[in-house]
Amino acid sequence: MSFKLEIISPQSTIFNDDVDLCILPGIEGDFGILKNHTPFLTTLRLGIAYIYKEKKLIETYLVSGGVVEVSDNQCTLLTEEIVRSNEFIPSNQENEIDKKKEKIVNKLFYS
Amino acid sequence: MPSLKDLRNRISSVKSTKKITSAMKMVAAAKLKRAQDNAEKSRPYAEKMKQVVSSLTNKINQSNFKFGKKITSNSNKTVLLLVCSADRGLCGGFNGSIIKFTKKLINKLSNNGYTVKFIFIGKKAYQALKRLHSQSTLENISDFANPSIKFEIASSVRDQVLELFDSREISECHLIYTKFKSAISQTVEAQKLLPVESESDIDNEENKKINTSYDYEPSEEVLLDEIIPRNIAIQIHSGLLENLASEQGSRMTAMDNATRNANDMIDNLTLFYNRSRQALITKELIEIISGAEAV
Repeated sequence: MSFKLEIISPQSTIFNDDVDLCILPGIEGDFGILKNHTPFLTTLRLGIAYIYKEKKLIETYLVSGGVVEVSDNQCTLLTEEIVRSNEFIPSNQENEIDKKKEKIVNKLFYS
Repeated sequence: MPSLKDLRNRISSVKSTKKITSAMKMVAAAKLKRAQDNAEKSRPYAEKMKQVVSSLTNKINQSNFKFGKKITSNSNKTVLLLVCSADRGLCGGFNGSIIKFTKKLINKLSNNGYTVKFIFIGKKAYQALKRLHSQSTLENISDFANPSIKFEIASSVRDQVLELFDSREISECHLIYTKFKSAISQTVEAQKLLPVESESDIDNEENKKINTSYDYEPSEEVLLDEIIPRNIAIQIHSGLLENLASEQGSRMTAMDNATRNANDMIDNLTLFYNRSRQALITKELIEIISGAEAV
């Protein structure tokens, strides 16, 4: 029961694999995508993307904004700012956005 | 007839030119590899974004959203051209073809009653066109590709374009750049960024079939307002990347040709030099022998 997930940034294709479930921070609330999801298009807010394969959490990404398109068992995530959440290094403690990001990274909801 | 010393000087000067051109070729080849990689990596993103936008624009009423055609803008016919060129010369016909293309487009637009404004990205096109169009140049960005093209340039240009479009100072915006096909073939292209229009009718039918079942969250209009600025930035960014790859490819072929021409010249000159040397020796011998015979 898997579908194809692609995460594309302007610099490269970051993730391209079959996965079971991904939970994404949509602009109107978190949502999960499973196989045979209805065609769907939305934007993202700042948050964590969780990716599951074979009933295990295999990857978490910190995303801030982007566009998600789901159609025909193919999920495409277009984003300019994405980083593996364990590779996130807050560059500037004073920065409001960085503080928020750090807080989010330290608190995983769906592990 | 040039003396032997003249010939020697010419040969050595051609040789040193050849050294420069072959070094430039190597540098361009190395840079081309990187630029080409970057351009190709940005393509899937740009194309997917384009698809998403066109599938959205087909769904909604044109006059209703922010970046669509403005009905009131009929009186104001101003086109903004974003002209991407190189910062440096010595890259064959690269800059020349961009300038030629731009001039043609300017003519066509002004014949149709449009006013043209410019934002130049890259020094060379600006230098060529500033004499005629310095009044209508809004900005001139140079030295942008050092060491690599940053996304921030595209987004700052995007912000400027959107501000102008919002305040209705411009009614259309086009991006002129060189699309990279291979190291020896590049084409200059113009791409319409604003206003956003739906694709042609043939595409519409096909798209509609897929689109009717899409769920949008939030509504299409809000989504478009969010996505279109992103799309414009990414189109500019990928245009710049393509342009850089084309520049390096063009420079590589130009320098390769120059090196080959220098080789030919050296061969010819060396042959000529040896012949004149031989002739000189023969002449001297004849003089000595005929002198000895006279005694």
